[in-house]
Amino acid sequence: MSVNPTAPATRRTYGEIFDRGYLHYDGPRLGVPAAIWALARYSMARAIGIRRPWTAKIIPFLIYAAVLIPVALAIGIRAFVPAFNFLTYGEFFGAIFILEGIFVALIAPEMVSTDQHDKMLPLYFSRPIGRNAYVVAKLLGTGLLTLSVSLAPVAIMWIGNVLLAQDPALALREGLDDLGRIVVAGVLIAFYLGAIGLMISSFTGRKSVAVGVIVLGFVISESLSLALSEALRDQPDLERWMFVLSPARTIVSMVNGLFPLNDGDIDSFAVPFTQAAGVMVAVMAICSLVMFLRYQRHD
Amino acid sequence: MTSAALPPYPWSIETTGLLKRYGKVVALDSIDLTVPRGAIGLLGPNGAGKSTLLKILLGLTRPTGGSAKVLGQDVQHEGTALRARLGYMPEVDALPSNATAADFVAHMAEMSGLPRRAARQRANDVLYQVGLDEERYRLIRGFSTGMKQRVKLAQAIVHDPELVFLDEPTNGLDPMGRDDMLSLIERINRQLGINVVLSSHILDDVERVCDYVVMLDHGKVVAAQPLHVPEDLAADLHVRIDGEPAAFLAALEQQGLHAVQAGIEFGRDEFVIRRDGEQTADIVRDAAVSSGVPLRLLRPATRTLADLYIDSIEAEGAAPQPGRGRRRGAAA
Repeated sequence: MSVNPTAPATRRTYGEIFDRGYLHYDGPRLGVPAAIWALARYSMARAIGIRRPWTAKIIPFLIYAAVLIPVALAIGIRAFVPAFNFLTYGEFFGAIFILEGIFVALIAPEMVSTDQHDKMLPLYFSRPIGRNAYVVAKLLGTGLLTLSVSLAPVAIMWIGNVLLAQDPALALREGLDDLGRIVVAGVLIAFYLGAIGLMISSFTGRKSVAVGVIVLGFVISESLSLALSEALRDQPDLERWMFVLSPARTIVSMVNGLFPLNDGDIDSFAVPFTQAAGVMVAVMAICSLVMFLRYQRHD
Repeated sequence: MTSAALPPYPWSIETTGLLKRYGKVVALDSIDLTVPRGAIGLLGPNGAGKSTLLKILLGLTRPTGGSAKVLGQDVQHEGTALRARLGYMPEVDALPSNATAADFVAHMAEMSGLPRRAARQRANDVLYQVGLDEERYRLIRGFSTGMKQRVKLAQAIVHDPELVFLDEPTNGLDPMGRDDMLSLIERINRQLGINVVLSSHILDDVERVCDYVVMLDHGKVVAAQPLHVPEDLAADLHVRIDGEPAAFLAALEQQGLHAVQAGIEFGRDEFVIRRDGEQTADIVRDAAVSSGVPLRLLRPATRTLADLYIDSIEAEGAAPQPGRGRRRGAAA
């Protein structure tokens, strides 16, 4: 029996050993924006325990559950009792900002304190990404991850409301205004809380310290703001600005400005949306600036 | 960020008047260096300025004065483009404890600009190259010191840099781990073609791996030269004889050669003879024959890196510290 040497080999020897050797990399090298996105993506995954032991996933996913249960309830009630509005968007934002604060207190230290603790900064800064890009990546990662609790649940609720309406197409058109306000509120809350949490966390390599300071900071700032408001009751012009001291009151003021109450019971000391949002943007800018300075070389 | 378009550059490191002060402490004292490509040893005792020099070359810290170039690019003004061509293995354990080696190394590849899929592929390949193929999906916190050093080395070369800075890579390793690490570094340079700057205070490490050495002491360059230069290091002949040396020494004197007794550690029958032309070894052999003494050893009296180190330090006027003996392999 002759063998045709030109015939293609149809069988390979099982168990062949290949020398893998070392190959130089001659593929594409992406720029700094790709590295920023890679760092943000990696940090987000680490912060909520993805590709980490299961114990690291417990608390983030408990918070996700706590945020999504009211949404499921609201959609379920809407499905069976369409006339009953169990939870408005404004009420939902007002109800979950504490959970958002806890979420940020958990993820922000994971984002930056861990890098300091593990002495990772020289490794990052010896790569093309550099110091400012590192800060941008961390702000982006924290903000985007916080959107998963500040925006995603309300957006799901909005989609549920549209789909469960008698005329979904009409509900979609009429609900676009609500969707816009939901996005604005969600984005503002996410990046506002994220910037504060990151700034605090950037000053320590100990996660527990950072978590404690963030939580205590939220509580103390709330108490301080209320106490000063009480003390300045005779000076309404000053008193109405005391919300600035408290992230909680700032968020509530912004949400109330964006989703005014329907019953006409408007708080006489209510802060306009633009002022509350302006304060949030200013705080974000200050926190970001502090972070950029924090990570500069001081030599 | 691609390095392929850049022309080859003969020097790995060039510094001009590089100065670094921390307050009143001078860490680097206006050093001028021109270092070729290859395996470079950065040698000096603790506090000599090695880590400071590495940090400046990597752009992690600013010099107080002077300038520095790596692979022809200015570290201050072309830092981003330059760092894409460099790798860095720090001295400290800069590793995330709760990540797997594969995840971490792939992440660091992405930090150097590699696309996600390529980064993961490269991470697997490089971990295989450093001997962590089986362990790459284990959490780093469960690794031994030697395995952690390998992960640090893997992340330093995962993006295929042209030059990799290794800061005390054998720290904390047992003798076998140290030997493995040095073998890996040799392989990185000689087989993979990656230029290496090895910062160490251990003479043996530098002597084994490097072909050029830069010695620092108190922030100054005390020597910067190739290792194993025949005309310098093999200038003398080392001779051992049996029996009475007087006749042998007299025979040498007749031929115009002067022998001096080698160090006490070599024994009283060993001599060092200054080489005087290509025929010196033949003359020594003939002198042994004519004087009737058995010649037991005749070889070039190579100077070790330890000798070079001590000579350089002494030339600078600094007395050698304890532990810097002329013994081969002594810690600097």
